[in-house]
Amino acid sequence: MDIRVLQPSDIPYVQLANITNLPENYFCKYYLYHAMSWPQLSYVAVDVSRPPKTPYDPPKIVGYVLAKMEEEPTDGVQHGHITSLSVMRTHRRLGLAEKLMRQSQRAMVETFGAHYVSLHVRMSNIAALHLYRDTLGFKVEKVESKYYADGEDAYSMRMDLEDMKIALEEEDERTFGVDEGEAVGGEGEDEKKKEKRKVKVGRGLGVGELVERNAAAAS
Amino acid sequence: MPQPLSGKDSQLFRQLVKQYEGKTYKKGLKTADQLLRSVPNHGDTQAMKALIMNSMGQGEEAFALAKVALKNDMKSHVCWHVYGLLYRSQKNYEEAIKAYKFALRLEPDQMNILRDLALLQMQIRDYAGYLDTRKKMLTARPLIRQNWTAVAIGHHLLGDYKSAERVLQSFEETLKQPPPKSDIENSEAILYKNVIIAESGETERALEHLDKVLRNTLDRTTALELRAEYLLKLGKKEEAEKAYRTLLDRNTERRAYYDGLEAALGLDRSDEGSIEKLMEIYDFYAGKSERFDAPRRIPLDFLKGDAFRTAADKYLQRMLQKGVPSTFNNVKALYAGVDKKATIEKLVLGYQSQNSMNGSADGDSATVSDRFQEAVLYFLAQHYNYHLSRDLSKAMEYIDKLIKMRPKSVDYHQTKARIWKHYGNTKKAAEVINQARELDLKDRYINTKCAKYQLRNNENDLALTTMSKFTRNEAVGGPLGDLHDMQCLWYLTEDGEAYLRRGNLGLALKRFSAVADVFDIWQEDQFDFHSFSLRKGQIRAYVDMLRWEDSLRAHPSFTRAGISAVKIYLRLAEEQNDKSSQKQSSDNAANDLERKKAEKKAKKELEKLQKAEAEKKAAAAKNNKAKTVDGEVKKEDTDPLGKKLLETKEPLEAALRFLKPMLEFSPKNVEAQNVGFEVHLRRKKYLLALACLNAVKAVDPENPVLHEQAVRFRQVVNELKDLAPQVSETIKSTFTIILEDADLKAYNSEWQQKHADSPAHLRSAYSVRYILDNSTKAECESDLKSLLDSPSMTAEQAMKGLEYLNQWKSDESTKKAYKEAAAQKWPEATIFA
Repeated sequence: MDIRVLQPSDIPYVQLANITNLPENYFCKYYLYHAMSWPQLSYVAVDVSRPPKTPYDPPKIVGYVLAKMEEEPTDGVQHGHITSLSVMRTHRRLGLAEKLMRQSQRAMVETFGAHYVSLHVRMSNIAALHLYRDTLGFKVEKVESKYYADGEDAYSMRMDLEDMKIALEEEDERTFGVDEGEAVGGEGEDEKKKEKRKVKVGRGLGVGELVERNAAAAS
Repeated sequence: MPQPLSGKDSQLFRQLVKQYEGKTYKKGLKTADQLLRSVPNHGDTQAMKALIMNSMGQGEEAFALAKVALKNDMKSHVCWHVYGLLYRSQKNYEEAIKAYKFALRLEPDQMNILRDLALLQMQIRDYAGYLDTRKKMLTARPLIRQNWTAVAIGHHLLGDYKSAERVLQSFEETLKQPPPKSDIENSEAILYKNVIIAESGETERALEHLDKVLRNTLDRTTALELRAEYLLKLGKKEEAEKAYRTLLDRNTERRAYYDGLEAALGLDRSDEGSIEKLMEIYDFYAGKSERFDAPRRIPLDFLKGDAFRTAADKYLQRMLQKGVPSTFNNVKALYAGVDKKATIEKLVLGYQSQNSMNGSADGDSATVSDRFQEAVLYFLAQHYNYHLSRDLSKAMEYIDKLIKMRPKSVDYHQTKARIWKHYGNTKKAAEVINQARELDLKDRYINTKCAKYQLRNNENDLALTTMSKFTRNEAVGGPLGDLHDMQCLWYLTEDGEAYLRRGNLGLALKRFSAVADVFDIWQEDQFDFHSFSLRKGQIRAYVDMLRWEDSLRAHPSFTRAGISAVKIYLRLAEEQNDKSSQKQSSDNAANDLERKKAEKKAKKELEKLQKAEAEKKAAAAKNNKAKTVDGEVKKEDTDPLGKKLLETKEPLEAALRFLKPMLEFSPKNVEAQNVGFEVHLRRKKYLLALACLNAVKAVDPENPVLHEQAVRFRQVVNELKDLAPQVSETIKSTFTIILEDADLKAYNSEWQQKHADSPAHLRSAYSVRYILDNSTKAECESDLKSLLDSPSMTAEQAMKGLEYLNQWKSDESTKKAYKEAAAQKWPEATIFA
């Protein structure tokens, strides 16, 4: 199994894995919206050990994580969000979900300075709950009642990424030496600036509507 | 010049524009009407009103009004702009571009129009036009980074790397101080520039540049990957090794990093002398964590003999003890090697007798041992179910044993269903997978597989009911509507194929067309990102997307649906042909009767479907909820059964919608070329038909269908009289499969001898025999039937034989005898029933 970043050409096959496994589905444009906004964050697990059948074999995607940054965090803190994650039933117990998540989380911190990552999980999905809580270290934040289209409640979970952030900064310093260019308090400043040049995902763009439509479908 | 408005009216007009932009359409219409009462022929207002009407789904009226507006005010850029926007919304890009250009002639500096023009130029891949337009925008607004980036993209896509780099550089130089490190747009622009330098072939300079900026890149994974690639390319092996090791520390499951590391160390998997060094690498990374799979699995690809057995033993035992259900899937690629297949089989069969792994009998290791035993049996069930190591009765034995041990296992039931599928028993396969589904009603995966097997068993309605357990059933069109909305290609394709097997060409073609529609939507989807991505600044991702979109229809689902659709169109063309020559005497009364019977049956079924459709419509009308989630009104499907699709006057031309992209993007697909030949031959496009033959010849020179088609082509072109000299010259020089003066019968029997062991080839030889002399029909039929006794014959191949009997218009009794013989040979298969 190969774990690598999602490319636009993977999207139809990620979409296929999603609609095969999960009840929450999206059209291509919504995947594109992720891939064009935060191309560093979504990862796929590809079964590369399949014998080729034709000259046009698609990538056999057996797992994926579709992730984003929260565009307008209500708490004002930069953080990532897992839109969707799944692994084919035939490829369970290989630790793929964990491997996918770890790559995505690193990118959230490294590329977008995320402080934490959040997600929703069906309350009845014990296996997923176990993965997020026990294997990955997510904590249940609250219950969101009737989050899913079928009326089921969701756990809203989050995982702190501060430790990862510090570890990555230290790694950077080991590689490049102490960065004198940025003051210690620089980060907060950056964030303010970032907020000022917030990219608008406007209605006129069409893609913005997708976010709303998806939320509507989920709620 | 637009007509001037009074102060109050021009204020109203501004309000109208705002209402359009804010999507408050009803208010906008009111404002427009108010204005038009005071200035009845005001072109700009009429244009704005048209734009709003178009957004409200009144496309035709909008177009009519926009034309009136233009007539009233030919010199208004607003009217032309709106005219272009209406064309754009109809996806008529050429006309839209013309209209925008008219508008720009009147107002050359209108940024809105320039922007809209550039979007369309990108959409139709007019890079030169795009560059030109974006340059104008840059001149007008040089302070905005996006404007520089867009010009660079234009140069880049035209292959002018130097200019692209220079433009990006120029903007960087205008920055008085470096942007903060967290500025993602800046970080991406820098990486984009780096990629452009590398693509121009200047790897050395790309590396220098990357080393300078590495620390400030936020997409560190990509930056490190690029750096490693450059180092390797430049032969800086030591540094490359280090770079790949850094990458492996970040992601130990990435095959490309191992490839890079091996290359950096100068190792060669096929060289015995490299093996020891290679194993050092893989042992090192495997030792880092119990959870890593890649460093354990990769060596199985290159190890041989005893070393392979030892490594495979270790790998398999480890996986099976963990009870990993995908163990078989993980190693089956190795079965391509006969030795490896035998080794694995022997190893796993050996594990069966290995009862207690640790020799101790305490509770814990007993469960470990049980789990191991179960995993071993499961592996063997899959092993004997796999086409390269198939022994279905053994597979069934293993899976039944497992189901006895664990009667509620979804996986075991699924595998059992797969075994039935390989027996050709679609009925039992569908039944068993439904049992699997019922064991875990909340799992969509097994639900999906169940629906698929039901479709394979031609149970379209049941499959949809199964799918509906997880679809958004309140969507317009119910579950099926949701599957269309969610672009569920596999379902549309399999549903269509099942209808095709049932002889319902209308619904089959309907589904295949829906697949093609999805690809149209995907192509359209990129449109918004031409502006979105510039704002987001993720330019590398954007360029990747453009490149993917360019070959979108290389997707195997397009080809699969396309081949079936083209076959349907070919049948329609045949039928039209037959009808026009039906005046001829009906020489086969029995066949005629059969056909009439079949037609009657199909008609009855169609009537039933139409009735059901009408009832559905009535129910929907009652609910009156023909709206999607976002309130967008969905147009009613006026042809739910695909009847109109079948009524096409020009089936061969309609087939081109599928055929052209297949031949362009999947030229090595033999079946696509096969059907391409049939279409082009009937269209009398002889050179295109010949191109299909030659394309197959390049991939698979002994292809059986190619043999039949080549003979037919030779027959046809030898008869042709009035061909243009260039055409006949080209045919002469490029149709070399069968020479002009060849004795076709001799050619065929020679070919037959050459392939005496292959049922598929022999079948084609019989077919050619029939084509050359249809008095051999009886002989062909009996030869075809004897093929069933051939040892290498499969049930699937036997099915194909049946198609030939149809082609030869054989008697029902002949077909029946063939089916009975096949059913006798494959008693478990339902397909001959």
